[in-house]
Amino acid sequence: MTPFWALVRKELAVLFGSPLAYVVLTLVALVSSLIFFDHLRIYNQILFVFASTTMGGFETDTIPDYVNLRDQVFFPVMENLGFVLILLVPMITMRIFAEERSRGTDELLVTTLLTPSQIVLAKFAVTFAFVALMMAASFVYPALAIREGGLGLEHLLAVFLGLLFHAFGLAALGLACSAFSRTQLVAAVGALALGFVLWDFSWASGFLSEGVIRFLEGIALHPHYRFFAEGVVILSHLAYFVGLVIVCFALARFSYDLRRVAG
Amino acid sequence: MREVGLLGLVAIAFGAGSYVATRDANQSLTWFHALNLAGGSLALLVAALASLGRLRAAAQPGLRAVLGRGLLGVLGAVALAVGLERAAHWSGLEFDWTLERLYVLSEATEMGLAELDEPVRATLYYDEEDPRARSTRLLLRALAATGRVETAEKKLGASPEEEDRFEVGSSNTVVVRLGDRFESVARPTEGTFYEALYRLRSLDSGLVYMARGTGEGDIERTADDGFSGLAQALLTEGYRIRSFVPAQGTPIPPEVDALVWLAPRRRLPETTLAEVRRYLAGGGRLVVFLEPGVESGLEEVIAEWGLRSPDAVLVDPASGRMDGDAPGVNPLAFHYGSHPISRGLGASRMTFFRGARSFELRKPEVEDDLWSVVLASSRSWLAEDLEVLERRSPPLRPASARSDYHPLVVAGRYQREAGETRIVAFGDADLASNRHLRTLYNLDLTLNAVHWVASREPAIKLLPKARVAGGDQFALPIQNTLTRFYGLGLLLPELLLMAGALVWVRTRSA
Repeated sequence: MTPFWALVRKELAVLFGSPLAYVVLTLVALVSSLIFFDHLRIYNQILFVFASTTMGGFETDTIPDYVNLRDQVFFPVMENLGFVLILLVPMITMRIFAEERSRGTDELLVTTLLTPSQIVLAKFAVTFAFVALMMAASFVYPALAIREGGLGLEHLLAVFLGLLFHAFGLAALGLACSAFSRTQLVAAVGALALGFVLWDFSWASGFLSEGVIRFLEGIALHPHYRFFAEGVVILSHLAYFVGLVIVCFALARFSYDLRRVAG
Repeated sequence: MREVGLLGLVAIAFGAGSYVATRDANQSLTWFHALNLAGGSLALLVAALASLGRLRAAAQPGLRAVLGRGLLGVLGAVALAVGLERAAHWSGLEFDWTLERLYVLSEATEMGLAELDEPVRATLYYDEEDPRARSTRLLLRALAATGRVETAEKKLGASPEEEDRFEVGSSNTVVVRLGDRFESVARPTEGTFYEALYRLRSLDSGLVYMARGTGEGDIERTADDGFSGLAQALLTEGYRIRSFVPAQGTPIPPEVDALVWLAPRRRLPETTLAEVRRYLAGGGRLVVFLEPGVESGLEEVIAEWGLRSPDAVLVDPASGRMDGDAPGVNPLAFHYGSHPISRGLGASRMTFFRGARSFELRKPEVEDDLWSVVLASSRSWLAEDLEVLERRSPPLRPASARSDYHPLVVAGRYQREAGETRIVAFGDADLASNRHLRTLYNLDLTLNAVHWVASREPAIKLLPKARVAGGDQFALPIQNTLTRFYGLGLLLPELLLMAGALVWVRTRSA
């Protein structure tokens, strides 16, 4: 076994040996299902009210066009879950680098045959695998419900893809914060604050110029993430999240250089 | 200094968060927002400067190269990320995974736009809180990608005079302009945009005579059993429509591009039938809709052209019960013959018939061309007892009845000395009624039949659906899924939590 795979195995063992990981997995599975089923329940209620015989039913065009799965279920579920992930993902990423730094075991890693890039790659890969598992667990019940309804499975897949890439982006931000911190709490709060700040800049449109807002929207998470809820997968938005991961990877790698220089 | 940076980030997050939370009620920045945002930014700046200063002080000359390479690596990663995003943006690749492919333009819309001499201008008037504007923007984006539509957006209320002029009544309205003419589309979908486009173009596709006076379907009636929808669709396609009352003894002029006869309920006078025979013999063009249980005389006329329709109800066991009718009497057709009228239709693009009769084909002359355009399934058979339409119980198939692919729509083309005659016969008229015209692909089939009869083959196409939003207005089996969620559905979180508890106990005891 190469040192790289040995490190991946060790990281997996540490991650799945932590009770916190299971708590986060449980929370994500539970919260996502509750959000999904709650919106589904409300959507069905509205639909049945409009479709009832006293209102004229489906045939008479009395159901407003905004009462549909896209606007009443997929979009709000994705908005809510996207926000919830900002809170939950840092709980996973906070310890990945910071714990080793606080214990001083990161120095040992650097003395092995592994390069800093390989160390960072192993930690990113394991974290992303866990995040993918987390998102898969959160989508079991929504996928079942949509499949039983006989519609929109591809649309749900677009939503899932958006959430997955969003979670990868947040995980990358969290890992970068963890790489620059000695304490897990600082890493978690930093990732949370960064995720929240980067979420959306449309709120600043009232007092910033259009050019600045366009730039900020270009680096914000939400403008790239929201299209997935519409069932449209745009390559440039996927590329944004890949780019975010690349930058965070480079920053985490840079933290090793910085430590060599600044201690 | 890291602590200062962290505090700065938290302050910015709180400043932005509180502004987002209160901006609906209070549009301006309060001292709390401003203090947090400014203080947070300042703290971040101080932390960054202090870190740089610390680095300069700590780094030995040999280590500066390491730091430089690291920083170059970060800058390279930023450049790679931006380049990747820009390249993906430039490629324009995107995938529409919506249920009804809402943002993939149909052939009909692309054809319509390509035929224009000048680009169309489409302006969306929207309210910021209107969720529907999101999907309208995506539609406009798809239209703009053709290069034939210039799009713009305006907030509702920003230009009241313009809104009055273009009759903008509500948010999510798109005003489509072509030259000096305009159409307001209040529920923008590709289908409604397409219809607006056709109205703006003022095409002249030809003259259609609609027969009336002997109980035919009424093209002015807007109720479910009327045919106003068909008339409107023909007008949208650029046809001029004239009513034709055969009982008045008026001859059918030869310049008529299509004569449409919507299921007469009574027998036509012999003089009328003679006039139809004369018209067809002279290269006439006829689209006729028949109904079981009615012998109007048109059946005899088209039988002379090889399209014989026995007076029987087609029963297709492959189609289930609908609206409480007996199962099988309302066939859902998904078999199509090779003919321009059925181009693009197939197993996933079905047509719906409600109480239909079938046809038998026999060429009057060797050179004539006859086609079965739409067929029922191989299990279909003909019930001579018309009472099956009234009963709710499943029709019993007599031993003598033959199961086969029975045609529901047929077409014939005949070269005669006086010209080319074309006939399309439908075994049902309900499919073109207001109630069922927009069901599945009924409208496409009906319009394409008229196009073919009128020798307008290039106009044959599948139309974008007008009511796409309704496509996903289905109720999901909520009770079923909720029961599963509260039963089986909680199993996964429970198991995950149990695994976490076990790990915790083992970690503590280790």
